[in-house]
Amino acid sequence: MVFFFDLVIGGLAIGACYALVALAMVIIYKTSEVPNFAQGEMAMISAFVAYALIESYGVGFWTAAGLTLLFALCLGVVLELAFLRPAKNPNILGLIVITLGAEMILYGLAGWKWGANQHPFPVPFSEYGGVTYADVIITEINIWTFVTSLVMMLLLFLFFRYTKLGTAMKAVQQNVFAAKAMGIPTRRILTFTWGLSSVTGAVAGMLIAPIATLDPNMMLDPLLKGFAGAVLGGMTSLPGAALGGYMLGLIENFFGGYVSLEFKSVVAFAVIVLVLCVKPSGLLVRHFERKV
Amino acid sequence: MKRGIFSAVIMICTLMTLGVPNAVMSADAVRGVTDSEILIGQWGPQTGPAALWGTVGRATGVYFDLLNSEGGIHGRKIKYFNRDDAYQPMKTKAIVKEFVENIGVFGVVGGVGTSTGMAVRDYLAEHKVPWVSPATGSSHWSQPFQKYIFATFPQYHQEAYVLTEYAVEKLGKKKIAFFYQNDDYGKEGLTGAKQYLESKGMTLAAEVPVEVTDTDLKTHALKLKESGAEVVIMWVLPKHGAIILGVSKAIGFSPQWISCSTLSDPDLMFNVTKGLWKGVMYANFVNMESPNIKKYLEAQKKFAPNEKYTGLFFLAGFYFAEPMVEGLRRAGKDLTVDSFVKAMETIEGWNDWLGYNCTFTATDHQGVKSVYMEQCGDDGARIKITDWLVYKGK
Repeated sequence: MVFFFDLVIGGLAIGACYALVALAMVIIYKTSEVPNFAQGEMAMISAFVAYALIESYGVGFWTAAGLTLLFALCLGVVLELAFLRPAKNPNILGLIVITLGAEMILYGLAGWKWGANQHPFPVPFSEYGGVTYADVIITEINIWTFVTSLVMMLLLFLFFRYTKLGTAMKAVQQNVFAAKAMGIPTRRILTFTWGLSSVTGAVAGMLIAPIATLDPNMMLDPLLKGFAGAVLGGMTSLPGAALGGYMLGLIENFFGGYVSLEFKSVVAFAVIVLVLCVKPSGLLVRHFERKV
Repeated sequence: MKRGIFSAVIMICTLMTLGVPNAVMSADAVRGVTDSEILIGQWGPQTGPAALWGTVGRATGVYFDLLNSEGGIHGRKIKYFNRDDAYQPMKTKAIVKEFVENIGVFGVVGGVGTSTGMAVRDYLAEHKVPWVSPATGSSHWSQPFQKYIFATFPQYHQEAYVLTEYAVEKLGKKKIAFFYQNDDYGKEGLTGAKQYLESKGMTLAAEVPVEVTDTDLKTHALKLKESGAEVVIMWVLPKHGAIILGVSKAIGFSPQWISCSTLSDPDLMFNVTKGLWKGVMYANFVNMESPNIKKYLEAQKKFAPNEKYTGLFFLAGFYFAEPMVEGLRRAGKDLTVDSFVKAMETIEGWNDWLGYNCTFTATDHQGVKSVYMEQCGDDGARIKITDWLVYKGK
């Protein structure tokens, strides 16, 4: 039974990270229908920035985390302005290829600046100690991961529900032309979407870095899993993506624990295939036919 | 206009194909050997996921610079070509073609990566290119016998065999688990461990595979814990070594960890694991007490002052190239591929390098079969805990 609960804790901890990556992807996908494949490397670069601030400049963890979020916001905005906006007559495929290009540039940049080896990511809470309840250990970092991801989701919910900017973003997501007609600066909103998504990704990056050790390849696996989580829950639904991320973390851990460790990392992709066959728009999204 | 360009391209291509063999294959000259130079190549991951090991190729360059500054070998300087394959076998193929068909190298040295090396092994053999020290412990380099390959990296299965032997006989442990990367690298280690245990009528407490891309290793740690293992032997990437120690500690599992020589840089591992690496035992095949080390690190300051990392993998770049240079010395002034192979096969019980007891014979080109063990101490210090352990299995 302890084994079961250990798996649940592990699944929820990694699921929280997947959920944040999934949210970051969905925020952009909803507005532009582009899955942003640079998301992982944007998060990785942000984590590296936090690392550099703490290690090289001696900045305290919380200040560094704050500055990193600011950096992430700028990074998202700059990427949108520099890469996506200049695209002439963009179609979805073209934009996806652009995000892939941005991914390679960021990956190369990190390798050049910080090298390919692993770096220890310092955190102000214990990675090994924590609360023990009936032989099941929940480490401080697990607790932080749950809390941070839940707070982040709550903030996103409040932002989209109650702020003017959030409402404007939703309007752009629903109908660009109508939003434009209502006087919403749609291009600027799109740019900001990238910033917001980048910030969400950066939080995920800083939560994953202490677990996975920091290196340029750090986000490769979480990005794919986050994407799978988003597909599972629905690419156009924020709660769906979050739920998908958590579910994937749990499914993966149970599969690894009870069925086969060898195929643990493949199960995410089996889930994608299954969902695309049975409910292509995801668990929490009502399927609709697009009429020309 | 188009036709003009077309014929120009044809002409250039013709000139290139005719010109190159003339340049490198005149009369009875030996490929890659002139009166003043010997051409040697190496590939390795300077970029990409395995770029940490790119330092091997750069260190070999420092070694050759040092040799050249001391006058070279029999009056010939070494001209060295270090190429980046980003750990991709397709690129390695292209590089080796360039080495053989365009540059015309005498031989190749090192070369990190099993799959990258396997992509070019047969091509090199076909062109009779001597290849000294493939930089991985795969058994493919010496089994079946390869006339032109000289392996100096102890084979993974031999290494795992002696490490398991140590755990059972010296540490007196009975429950041994194996944590391995789910590919040739990890599986060869697994074979060695099983081979030893079978010879003693024992079995592994658990076999836990990990995929290269995995980052969440909690399930793996739980499986290891569930097996009740006292010793866990790992055959994984440095990254996975670091992660598994962290998650294991978080679930209250602390066996004696023993690691393959690919994780033999305690300073690096201690740093990445925030100190958890202390107490881990690992194999090493680079003799850290050799007087050559001081000389090589001084050469690094002179020839490659910008090199950030000068740990074990850097030293391995010297280790891999030393036997080749010894062979070139023994082959004498009249250097040909055959004279070089013959000279290499005279190397017996050779210890004047960073390795131990290098021996090549006409039927066995696996030059090194021993490792010794160290344990990580405070602040990543190396503590030598065994003498050389020689593989005695079949």
